[in-house]
Amino acid sequence: MTKEKMTIGEVSKPRFEFRTFGRDFDEAAYLLSRLSVPVPAKVWERNSKETYIVSKTNDVNNTKIRDGKMDIKTFVQEVDGLEQWNPLMKGEFPIKASVLQKDVFPAFKVEGLPTLNKDEYTLEEFLEMIKNHPDLQAVTVEKERFGYMVNDTICEYANVWINGAMVVTVNSESTELEDIQKTVKDLGIEGAENINYLQAIKRIIGMVDKKLAN
Amino acid sequence: MVTAIQPRFEFRIFGNHLDEIINKIAEFSPKEMSREMHSIYLLAAGNPDHNIKIRDGVMDIKTLEQKKDGLEQWNPFLVGEFPLKAEVIKSVVFPALGTESPVLDREEYTLQHFIDELIAVDPDITIASVCKKRDAFTVGKCITEIAEVKVNGAMIKTICIEAEEPKKVLKAKKKLHINEDMENVNYPLALKRIMGLVELPEQWQAKEF
Repeated sequence: MTKEKMTIGEVSKPRFEFRTFGRDFDEAAYLLSRLSVPVPAKVWERNSKETYIVSKTNDVNNTKIRDGKMDIKTFVQEVDGLEQWNPLMKGEFPIKASVLQKDVFPAFKVEGLPTLNKDEYTLEEFLEMIKNHPDLQAVTVEKERFGYMVNDTICEYANVWINGAMVVTVNSESTELEDIQKTVKDLGIEGAENINYLQAIKRIIGMVDKKLAN
Repeated sequence: MVTAIQPRFEFRIFGNHLDEIINKIAEFSPKEMSREMHSIYLLAAGNPDHNIKIRDGVMDIKTLEQKKDGLEQWNPFLVGEFPLKAEVIKSVVFPALGTESPVLDREEYTLQHFIDELIAVDPDITIASVCKKRDAFTVGKCITEIAEVKVNGAMIKTICIEAEEPKKVLKAKKKLHINEDMENVNYPLALKRIMGLVELPEQWQAKEF
Protein backbone atom coordinates (compact mmCIF):
# COMPACT_ATOMS: atom_id res chain seq x y z
CA MET A 1 0.00 0.00 0.00
CA THR A 2 1.41 3.38 -0.89
CA LYS A 3 1.59 6.12 1.67
CA GLU A 4 -0.70 9.09 1.23
CA LYS A 5 1.30 12.25 0.62
CA MET A 6 0.31 14.76 3.31
CA THR A 7 -0.46 18.25 2.07
CA ILE A 8 -1.07 21.12 4.45
CA GLY A 9 -4.52 22.64 4.07
CA GLU A 10 -5.93 19.83 1.93
CA VAL A 11 -8.44 17.14 2.82
CA SER A 12 -6.94 13.70 3.45
CA LYS A 13 -8.08 10.40 4.90
CA PRO A 14 -8.82 10.73 8.65
CA ARG A 15 -5.54 11.51 10.35
CA PHE A 16 -4.01 10.25 13.54
CA GLU A 17 -2.68 12.86 15.89
CA PHE A 18 -0.21 13.34 18.67
CA ARG A 19 -0.70 16.55 20.59
CA THR A 20 0.58 17.67 23.93
CA PHE A 21 0.11 20.74 26.09
CA GLY A 22 2.35 22.40 28.66
CA ARG A 23 4.44 25.48 29.28
CA ASP A 24 7.88 24.51 28.09
CA PHE A 25 8.36 23.23 24.56
CA ASP A 26 11.13 25.61 23.48
CA GLU A 27 13.38 22.75 22.37
CA ALA A 28 10.57 21.19 20.30
CA ALA A 29 9.85 24.60 18.75
CA TYR A 30 13.51 24.96 17.77
CA LEU A 31 13.60 21.45 16.30
CA LEU A 32 10.39 22.07 14.36
CA SER A 33 11.95 25.13 12.77
CA ARG A 34 15.11 23.20 11.82
CA LEU A 35 13.56 19.93 10.67
CA SER A 36 10.61 21.29 8.72
CA VAL A 37 10.50 21.40 4.96
CA PRO A 38 9.30 24.74 3.57
CA VAL A 39 5.54 25.12 4.06
CA PRO A 40 3.04 27.40 2.29
CA ALA A 41 3.14 30.99 3.57
CA LYS A 42 -0.55 30.79 4.53
CA VAL A 43 0.30 28.38 7.38
CA TRP A 44 3.39 30.17 8.69
CA GLU A 45 1.31 31.94 11.27
CA ARG A 46 -2.43 31.74 11.83
CA ASN A 47 -4.47 33.47 14.51
CA SER A 48 -7.94 32.52 15.57
CA LYS A 49 -10.44 32.95 18.35
CA GLU A 50 -12.80 30.11 19.13
CA THR A 51 -15.35 29.07 21.69
CA TYR A 52 -15.15 25.46 22.85
CA ILE A 53 -18.15 23.88 24.52
CA VAL A 54 -17.00 21.42 27.15
CA SER A 55 -19.19 18.97 28.95
CA LYS A 56 -18.51 17.29 32.29
CA THR A 57 -19.87 14.03 30.92
CA ASN A 58 -18.25 13.86 27.48
CA ASP A 59 -14.69 13.19 26.36
CA VAL A 60 -15.38 11.88 22.86
CA ASN A 61 -16.95 14.79 21.03
CA ASN A 62 -15.05 18.03 20.55
CA THR A 63 -17.28 21.03 19.83
CA LYS A 64 -15.92 24.40 18.79
CA ILE A 65 -17.36 27.55 17.29
CA ARG A 66 -15.32 29.88 15.09
CA ASP A 67 -16.64 32.83 13.11
CA GLY A 68 -20.22 31.79 13.80
CA LYS A 69 -19.67 28.24 12.54
CA MET A 70 -19.92 25.15 14.68
CA ASP A 71 -17.71 22.15 14.14
CA ILE A 72 -17.97 18.88 16.09
CA LYS A 73 -15.31 16.19 15.84
CA THR A 74 -15.73 12.77 17.29
CA PHE A 75 -13.11 10.40 18.68
CA VAL A 76 -12.79 7.31 16.51
CA GLN A 77 -9.96 5.25 17.93
CA GLU A 78 -6.60 5.24 19.65
CA VAL A 79 -3.78 3.23 18.10
CA ASP A 80 -0.34 3.05 19.69
CA GLY A 81 -1.09 6.12 21.80
CA LEU A 82 -2.20 8.21 18.81
CA GLU A 83 -5.75 9.49 18.47
CA GLN A 84 -7.97 9.57 15.41
CA TRP A 85 -10.82 12.09 15.29
CA ASN A 86 -13.39 12.43 12.49
CA PRO A 87 -15.74 15.30 11.65
CA LEU A 88 -19.19 14.61 13.12
CA MET A 89 -21.13 17.67 12.06
CA LYS A 90 -20.73 21.21 10.80
CA GLY A 91 -23.32 23.93 11.23
CA GLU A 92 -23.73 27.66 11.10
CA PHE A 93 -25.56 30.15 13.29
CA PRO A 94 -28.42 30.84 13.33
CA ILE A 95 -28.84 27.11 13.76
CA LYS A 96 -32.02 25.06 13.40
CA ALA A 97 -33.60 23.77 16.61
CA SER A 98 -33.82 20.33 14.97
CA VAL A 99 -30.02 20.29 14.50
CA LEU A 100 -29.48 21.29 18.13
CA GLN A 101 -31.82 18.56 19.27
CA LYS A 102 -30.61 15.76 17.01
CA ASP A 103 -26.90 16.47 16.60
CA VAL A 104 -25.50 19.10 18.95
CA PHE A 105 -26.91 18.42 22.40
CA PRO A 106 -26.60 14.62 22.06
CA ALA A 107 -22.89 15.17 21.35
CA PHE A 108 -22.51 16.76 24.82
CA LYS A 109 -23.89 13.59 26.42
CA VAL A 110 -25.67 15.49 29.19
CA GLU A 111 -29.03 15.10 30.82
CA GLY A 112 -31.59 17.86 31.12
CA LEU A 113 -31.66 19.26 27.61
CA PRO A 114 -33.16 22.74 27.31
CA THR A 115 -36.63 23.08 25.87
CA LEU A 116 -36.42 24.42 22.34
CA ASN A 117 -39.42 26.64 21.55
CA LYS A 118 -38.04 28.42 18.50
CA ASP A 119 -37.30 27.23 14.97
CA GLU A 120 -33.72 28.47 15.06
CA TYR A 121 -31.24 29.96 17.50
CA THR A 122 -28.56 32.63 17.26
CA LEU A 123 -25.08 32.05 18.67
CA GLU A 124 -25.90 34.30 21.64
CA GLU A 125 -29.06 32.32 22.40
CA PHE A 126 -27.14 29.05 22.12
CA LEU A 127 -24.42 30.31 24.49
CA GLU A 128 -27.11 31.37 26.97
CA MET A 129 -28.42 27.77 26.98
CA ILE A 130 -24.88 26.53 27.62
CA LYS A 131 -24.44 29.03 30.48
CA ASN A 132 -27.63 27.82 32.12
CA HIS A 133 -26.70 24.13 31.99
CA PRO A 134 -24.79 22.94 35.08
CA ASP A 135 -22.70 20.39 33.15
CA LEU A 136 -21.73 22.56 30.18
CA GLN A 137 -19.27 25.38 29.88
CA ALA A 138 -18.24 27.72 27.06
CA VAL A 139 -14.50 28.42 27.03
CA THR A 140 -12.76 31.17 25.08
CA VAL A 141 -9.70 29.85 23.25
CA GLU A 142 -7.35 32.06 21.28
CA LYS A 143 -4.64 30.50 19.17
CA GLU A 144 -1.43 31.73 17.60
CA ARG A 145 -0.42 28.78 15.41
CA PHE A 146 2.84 28.22 13.55
CA GLY A 147 2.76 25.52 10.87
CA TYR A 148 5.52 23.07 9.92
CA MET A 149 5.96 19.81 8.04
CA VAL A 150 8.31 17.22 9.51
CA ASN A 151 8.72 13.62 8.31
CA ASP A 152 5.75 14.19 6.02
CA THR A 153 3.52 14.94 9.01
CA ILE A 154 1.63 18.19 9.49
CA CYS A 155 3.01 19.84 12.61
CA GLU A 156 2.20 22.87 14.64
CA TYR A 157 3.57 24.80 17.56
CA ALA A 158 0.98 27.13 19.08
CA ASN A 159 0.50 29.58 21.88
CA VAL A 160 -2.99 29.10 23.22
CA TRP A 161 -4.87 31.38 25.61
CA ILE A 162 -7.62 29.58 27.49
CA ASN A 163 -9.91 32.12 29.13
CA GLY A 164 -6.90 34.45 29.06
CA ALA A 165 -4.23 32.14 30.53
CA MET A 166 -1.53 30.84 28.23
CA VAL A 167 -0.26 27.37 27.43
CA VAL A 168 1.77 25.96 24.59
CA THR A 169 0.88 23.03 22.38
CA VAL A 170 2.88 20.94 19.90
CA ASN A 171 1.34 18.45 17.51
CA SER A 172 2.05 16.09 14.64
CA GLU A 173 -0.66 14.59 12.48
CA SER A 174 -0.74 12.24 9.55
CA THR A 175 -2.51 9.24 8.13
CA GLU A 176 0.68 7.27 8.83
CA LEU A 177 1.31 6.20 12.43
CA GLU A 178 5.03 5.54 11.95
CA ASP A 179 5.65 9.04 10.59
CA ILE A 180 4.02 10.62 13.65
CA GLN A 181 5.97 8.39 16.03
CA LYS A 182 9.25 9.29 14.33
CA THR A 183 8.34 12.97 14.50
CA VAL A 184 7.48 12.80 18.20
CA LYS A 185 10.88 11.21 18.78
CA ASP A 186 12.71 13.70 16.57
CA LEU A 187 11.08 16.63 18.41
CA GLY A 188 12.23 15.29 21.79
CA ILE A 189 8.70 14.97 23.18
CA GLU A 190 8.58 11.18 23.30
CA GLY A 191 7.72 10.98 26.99
CA ALA A 192 5.05 13.67 26.88
CA GLU A 193 1.43 12.64 27.32
CA ASN A 194 -0.85 12.82 24.29
CA ILE A 195 -3.34 15.49 25.39
CA ASN A 196 -6.06 16.66 23.02
CA TYR A 197 -7.69 20.10 23.14
CA LEU A 198 -10.73 18.90 25.03
CA GLN A 199 -8.60 17.35 27.76
CA ALA A 200 -6.28 20.35 28.03
CA ILE A 201 -9.19 22.76 28.40
CA LYS A 202 -10.87 20.56 30.99
CA ARG A 203 -7.66 20.35 33.02
CA ILE A 204 -7.13 24.11 32.96
CA ILE A 205 -10.68 25.01 33.94
CA GLY A 206 -10.56 22.44 36.74
CA MET A 207 -13.11 20.02 35.27
CA VAL A 208 -10.49 17.27 35.29
CA ASP A 209 -7.90 16.97 38.05
CA LYS A 210 -4.80 16.17 35.98
CA LYS A 211 -1.67 18.09 35.09
CA LEU A 212 -0.49 19.15 31.67
CA ALA A 213 2.68 17.60 30.23
CA ASN A 214 5.01 20.14 31.87
CA MET B 1 2.31 42.75 73.51
CA VAL B 2 0.29 41.57 70.56
CA THR B 3 0.15 43.94 67.63
CA ALA B 4 -2.95 43.67 65.49
CA ILE B 5 -2.37 43.28 61.76
CA GLN B 6 -3.60 46.31 59.88
CA PRO B 7 -5.31 45.01 56.73
CA ARG B 8 -3.76 46.47 53.60
CA PHE B 9 -5.45 48.12 50.66
CA GLU B 10 -4.64 46.42 47.40
CA PHE B 11 -4.69 47.14 43.71
CA ARG B 12 -4.06 44.10 41.51
CA ILE B 13 -4.18 43.49 37.79
CA PHE B 14 -3.84 40.36 35.68
CA GLY B 15 -2.78 40.11 32.06
CA ASN B 16 -0.36 38.84 29.45
CA HIS B 17 1.06 42.13 28.26
CA LEU B 18 2.10 44.07 31.33
CA ASP B 19 5.62 44.97 30.15
CA GLU B 20 5.12 48.74 30.29
CA ILE B 21 4.18 48.64 33.96
CA ILE B 22 6.86 46.04 34.72
CA ASN B 23 9.51 48.29 33.16
CA LYS B 24 8.21 51.25 35.15
CA ILE B 25 8.48 49.26 38.40
CA ALA B 26 12.11 48.46 37.54
CA GLU B 27 12.77 52.22 37.20
CA PHE B 28 11.73 52.80 40.80
CA SER B 29 12.94 49.72 42.63
CA PRO B 30 15.44 46.89 42.49
CA LYS B 31 14.07 43.38 42.86
CA GLU B 32 14.22 42.77 46.60
CA MET B 33 13.15 39.15 46.84
CA SER B 34 11.96 36.21 44.75
CA ARG B 35 9.78 33.39 46.00
CA GLU B 36 8.14 30.39 44.42
CA MET B 37 5.15 28.77 46.01
CA HIS B 38 2.28 26.43 45.34
CA SER B 39 -1.21 27.03 46.67
CA ILE B 40 -4.60 25.41 46.36
CA TYR B 41 -7.47 27.88 46.02
CA LEU B 42 -11.03 26.85 46.81
CA LEU B 43 -13.55 28.62 44.61
CA ALA B 44 -17.31 28.81 44.62
CA ALA B 45 -19.28 30.80 42.06
CA GLY B 46 -21.25 32.93 44.48
CA ASN B 47 -18.51 33.83 46.89
CA PRO B 48 -16.94 37.19 45.97
CA ASP B 49 -15.85 38.31 49.44
CA HIS B 50 -13.58 35.49 50.53
CA ASN B 51 -10.22 34.34 49.30
CA ILE B 52 -9.61 30.81 50.57
CA LYS B 53 -6.30 29.11 50.02
CA ILE B 54 -4.13 26.33 51.35
CA ARG B 55 -0.37 26.59 51.24
CA ASP B 56 2.12 24.23 52.88
CA GLY B 57 -0.74 22.45 54.64
CA VAL B 58 -2.08 25.67 56.20
CA MET B 59 -5.42 27.25 55.32
CA ASP B 60 -6.01 30.96 55.40
CA ILE B 61 -9.04 32.99 54.48
CA LYS B 62 -8.96 36.62 53.49
CA THR B 63 -12.18 38.56 53.78
CA LEU B 64 -12.95 41.63 51.72
CA GLU B 65 -13.47 44.39 54.30
CA GLN B 66 -14.17 47.31 52.02
CA LYS B 67 -13.68 48.89 48.61
CA LYS B 68 -12.40 52.44 48.50
CA ASP B 69 -11.24 54.57 45.58
CA GLY B 70 -10.98 51.49 43.38
CA LEU B 71 -8.88 49.63 45.97
CA GLU B 72 -9.80 46.59 48.01
CA GLN B 73 -8.99 46.00 51.66
CA TRP B 74 -8.61 42.33 52.56
CA ASN B 75 -8.37 41.06 56.11
CA PRO B 76 -6.40 37.82 56.55
CA PHE B 77 -7.53 35.16 58.98
CA LEU B 78 -5.44 32.09 59.72
CA VAL B 79 -7.79 29.10 59.88
CA GLY B 80 -5.03 26.70 60.87
CA GLU B 81 -2.89 23.78 59.87
CA PHE B 82 -4.24 20.43 58.70
CA PRO B 83 -5.54 18.23 60.19
CA LEU B 84 -8.41 20.64 60.81
CA LYS B 85 -11.16 20.02 63.34
CA ALA B 86 -14.56 19.20 61.83
CA GLU B 87 -16.06 22.02 63.87
CA VAL B 88 -13.70 24.55 62.25
CA ILE B 89 -14.51 23.24 58.78
CA LYS B 90 -18.22 23.47 59.49
CA SER B 91 -18.27 26.85 61.21
CA VAL B 92 -15.53 28.69 59.32
CA VAL B 93 -14.64 27.11 55.98
CA PHE B 94 -18.02 26.27 54.45
CA PRO B 95 -19.64 29.56 55.50
CA ALA B 96 -16.73 31.36 53.83
CA LEU B 97 -17.26 29.28 50.69
CA GLY B 98 -20.92 30.22 50.77
CA THR B 99 -22.01 26.62 50.37
CA GLU B 100 -23.75 24.30 52.77
CA SER B 101 -21.52 22.10 54.89
CA PRO B 102 -21.94 18.38 54.29
CA VAL B 103 -22.31 15.96 57.17
CA LEU B 104 -18.83 15.59 58.64
CA ASP B 105 -18.11 11.99 59.66
CA ARG B 106 -14.65 12.57 61.05
CA GLU B 107 -13.58 14.53 64.12
CA GLU B 108 -10.74 16.02 62.17
CA TYR B 109 -9.65 16.04 58.53
CA THR B 110 -6.21 15.72 56.98
CA LEU B 111 -5.70 17.81 53.84
CA GLN B 112 -6.18 14.69 51.71
CA HIS B 113 -9.41 13.76 53.49
CA PHE B 114 -10.64 17.33 53.27
CA ILE B 115 -10.02 17.52 49.51
CA ASP B 116 -11.18 14.01 48.62
CA GLU B 117 -14.21 13.70 50.86
CA LEU B 118 -15.53 17.25 51.19
CA ILE B 119 -14.29 19.40 48.32
CA ALA B 120 -13.78 17.26 45.21
CA VAL B 121 -17.27 15.75 45.59
CA ASP B 122 -19.04 19.10 45.97
CA PRO B 123 -20.35 20.29 42.59
CA ASP B 124 -20.41 23.90 43.81
CA ILE B 125 -16.72 24.05 44.71
CA THR B 126 -13.81 24.12 42.27
CA ILE B 127 -10.15 23.66 43.09
CA ALA B 128 -7.43 25.71 41.42
CA SER B 129 -3.85 24.57 41.62
CA VAL B 130 -1.78 27.75 41.52
CA CYS B 131 2.01 28.02 41.22
CA LYS B 132 3.42 31.49 41.71
CA LYS B 133 6.84 32.97 41.01
CA ARG B 134 6.70 36.22 42.94
CA ASP B 135 9.19 39.07 42.67
CA ALA B 136 9.00 41.79 45.33
CA PHE B 137 9.68 45.51 44.83
CA THR B 138 8.89 48.75 46.65
CA VAL B 139 7.27 51.63 44.79
CA GLY B 140 6.25 54.77 46.68
CA LYS B 141 6.58 52.94 50.01
CA CYS B 142 4.11 50.32 48.80
CA ILE B 143 4.75 46.59 48.68
CA THR B 144 4.77 45.91 44.95
CA GLU B 145 4.80 42.53 43.34
CA ILE B 146 5.21 41.12 39.86
CA ALA B 147 4.29 37.46 39.61
CA GLU B 148 4.05 34.76 37.01
CA VAL B 149 1.10 32.60 37.93
CA LYS B 150 0.36 29.15 36.59
CA VAL B 151 -3.31 28.30 37.04
CA ASN B 152 -3.76 24.56 36.55
CA GLY B 153 -0.73 24.80 34.25
CA ALA B 154 -1.76 27.86 32.21
CA MET B 155 0.15 31.08 32.72
CA ILE B 156 -0.86 34.66 33.34
CA LYS B 157 0.95 37.57 34.96
CA THR B 158 -0.15 39.73 37.84
CA ILE B 159 1.04 42.99 39.37
CA CYS B 160 -0.01 44.12 42.82
CA ILE B 161 0.50 47.31 44.81
CA GLU B 162 -0.47 47.28 48.46
CA ALA B 163 -0.18 49.43 51.56
CA GLU B 164 -2.06 50.13 54.75
CA GLU B 165 -2.85 53.64 53.57
CA PRO B 166 -4.91 53.83 50.38
CA LYS B 167 -3.37 57.19 49.43
CA LYS B 168 0.03 55.54 49.05
CA VAL B 169 -1.38 52.91 46.68
CA LEU B 170 -3.12 55.54 44.59
CA LYS B 171 0.11 57.54 44.39
CA ALA B 172 2.12 54.46 43.37
CA LYS B 173 -0.48 53.70 40.68
CA LYS B 174 0.10 57.16 39.23
CA LYS B 175 3.87 56.73 39.36
CA LEU B 176 3.52 53.53 37.36
CA HIS B 177 1.17 55.19 34.84
CA ILE B 178 -1.62 52.75 35.60
CA ASN B 179 -4.79 54.10 34.01
CA GLU B 180 -7.73 55.07 36.15
CA ASP B 181 -9.95 52.73 34.15
CA MET B 182 -7.77 49.66 34.66
CA GLU B 183 -9.80 47.06 36.53
CA ASN B 184 -8.76 45.96 40.03
CA VAL B 185 -8.97 42.17 39.89
CA ASN B 186 -8.36 40.07 43.00
CA TYR B 187 -7.06 36.49 42.92
CA PRO B 188 -10.39 34.66 43.37
CA LEU B 189 -11.98 36.71 40.60
CA ALA B 190 -9.07 36.10 38.21
CA LEU B 191 -9.13 32.37 38.94
CA LYS B 192 -12.89 32.21 38.48
CA ARG B 193 -12.57 33.92 35.11
CA ILE B 194 -9.88 31.53 33.90
CA MET B 195 -11.85 28.55 35.13
CA GLY B 196 -15.09 29.79 33.64
CA LEU B 197 -16.98 30.14 36.92
CA VAL B 198 -17.93 33.72 36.11
CA GLU B 199 -18.47 35.46 32.81
CA LEU B 200 -15.34 36.54 30.95
CA PRO B 201 -15.36 40.32 30.41
CA GLU B 202 -14.61 41.64 26.93
CA GLN B 203 -11.04 42.70 27.72
CA TRP B 204 -10.12 39.16 28.86
CA GLN B 205 -11.27 37.75 25.56
CA ALA B 206 -8.20 39.08 23.80
CA LYS B 207 -4.76 37.66 24.34
CA GLU B 208 -3.33 41.19 24.16
CA PHE B 209 -4.74 42.30 27.51
